[in-house]
Amino acid sequence: MTVRAHIFLALAALLLASPARAAQLVTDLSEHQVRIRSNFNGTQILLFGAIEVNNATERARDRDVVVVVTGPAQPVTVRRKERMAGIWVNNDAMTFPKVPGYYSMVSTRPLEVTAEPAVLKQVQIGIDNIDFGVPQAKGFAGHKQALSPEDEKNFAKALIRNKKRDKLYNADPGGIVFLGQTLFRATVDIPANVPVGLYTANVYLIADGKVADVIATPLYIDKSGLERHLYRFAHNDALLYGLIAVLGAAFAGWLGSALLRQK
Amino acid sequence: MQIYLPIAELPVNVFVILAMGLAVGFLSGMFGVGGGFLMTPLLIFLGIPPAVAVGTQSTQVVASSVTGALAHWRNASIDFKMGGVMLVGGIFGSFTGIAIFRALTKIGQIDLMISLVYVVFLSIIGAMMLTESLRAIMAARRGTPMPTNRGGQHTWIHGLPFKMRFRRSKLYISVIPPVAIGFFVGMLSAIMGVGGGFIMVPAMIYLLRMPTSVVIGTSLFQIVFVSGLTGVMHSVENQTVDAMLALLLVVGGVIGAQYGVRAASKLQGEQLRAMLAVIVLLMGLRLGYDLVTAPADLYSIIDAVPHS
Repeated sequence: MTVRAHIFLALAALLLASPARAAQLVTDLSEHQVRIRSNFNGTQILLFGAIEVNNATERARDRDVVVVVTGPAQPVTVRRKERMAGIWVNNDAMTFPKVPGYYSMVSTRPLEVTAEPAVLKQVQIGIDNIDFGVPQAKGFAGHKQALSPEDEKNFAKALIRNKKRDKLYNADPGGIVFLGQTLFRATVDIPANVPVGLYTANVYLIADGKVADVIATPLYIDKSGLERHLYRFAHNDALLYGLIAVLGAAFAGWLGSALLRQK
Repeated sequence: MQIYLPIAELPVNVFVILAMGLAVGFLSGMFGVGGGFLMTPLLIFLGIPPAVAVGTQSTQVVASSVTGALAHWRNASIDFKMGGVMLVGGIFGSFTGIAIFRALTKIGQIDLMISLVYVVFLSIIGAMMLTESLRAIMAARRGTPMPTNRGGQHTWIHGLPFKMRFRRSKLYISVIPPVAIGFFVGMLSAIMGVGGGFIMVPAMIYLLRMPTSVVIGTSLFQIVFVSGLTGVMHSVENQTVDAMLALLLVVGGVIGAQYGVRAASKLQGEQLRAMLAVIVLLMGLRLGYDLVTAPADLYSIIDAVPHS
């Protein structure tokens, strides 16, 4: 934390010394790369930044800062269980083509007061405004079918609900802490089950209900060390990986038998 | 201490996994069972994705069956010819099982299938073991010996074609039943992540009428190769073998088995067998309960394409 504080102060000093510019935001992350190692149990990313103001009138304006961290998007299938012959079985399914694996929103105030819903929807700020793409519905045996718009809404809601339960979708309105007039910081929780890939941390400056400025910072989350090698090995060289896993197990079994004989 | 599993993609407590490996290894050493039918549901209860539990469990089965098969090899209690014939069926069964596994994964019914198959088999096996051990306990109290299985009877099995002589088993029977048993068990092995000894052993005794002395060794010999093949195929087809999880399970299992074998010679077998039966039954009931009670959320999500 002290290191972070130092970075924070250094950035603040730099910022106060820099000349005014057209863009009004300056931000950075405490880490640009998260490495998932064997002891990985989730982490926190600190995002800090400042709003540049040229005069006192600007300072008095109605401004909000919203931080949105988004993970790589990919198709996700949502399945609904139904009771069949007494047991609960996955029945209808709906596949959304581009679902961010992770989505975290931190803002200065609740989103309702920052801008009109249409504005938020356009830039996909807020969990309910994420665009999952046009879904495709499938039935029990995998055949295509059509579901009512009502159902479609239920499936999208369920998707968000499941992601929230897994702590992969988070919203923290009011989570941005201002230090003085210009400096701010936000912490974003990265849970242990986070998907790997290229993330984007977007920081929006919303003034008078409009997006006045946005800064995108890349964040790379990847498996590292042994985890990375095992994962890559398992996917790129599946046959060799499988053979080694099985032969390794057979060797352990032989070792066990040798131990048994000694006694 | 938490450790991140690279394939299951979640952190687990090392000591919990080691303890499970020890406990199942202990039981497998004591009763001569592979323990797969206990371990896979335990892993699922722990939150490991069922597909990863099944794929990884097959490597654990390889380890424990190699230990067992080597012991039987030294005692010359393996009928290699019979094992080889069953293995032919087992290989085809394993391929079929993997194909079924893949198809069901695609339409989202694999978790249900795994649970259903487990409920059915755990309940049947548990009930059978319990009645048998209770009968044995009562017989021991009354002081009457258990009725033994009479060999040499002719059944419909003897009417089938393609007969072959199995010297070690002192049998001259059709190859169809052993191949069919091997096929069925190979299929179960791929879908359930088990060795399948709990089905093969009774089938070999009651259907094939093999001498009891060679049954366990022969089934273990066959399990080594079928579960090895299954493990490789799960790696290739589904990438669901987690080497880290496998390592923890195998280490726990090998150590647990050592104590299990020693304990078996000191403790009263029938009471313990009854206990194992109760554990198996309870696990079956628990899985069954999960199937019939309304889930907390009717909706579940899954990545439509496995990410790379």
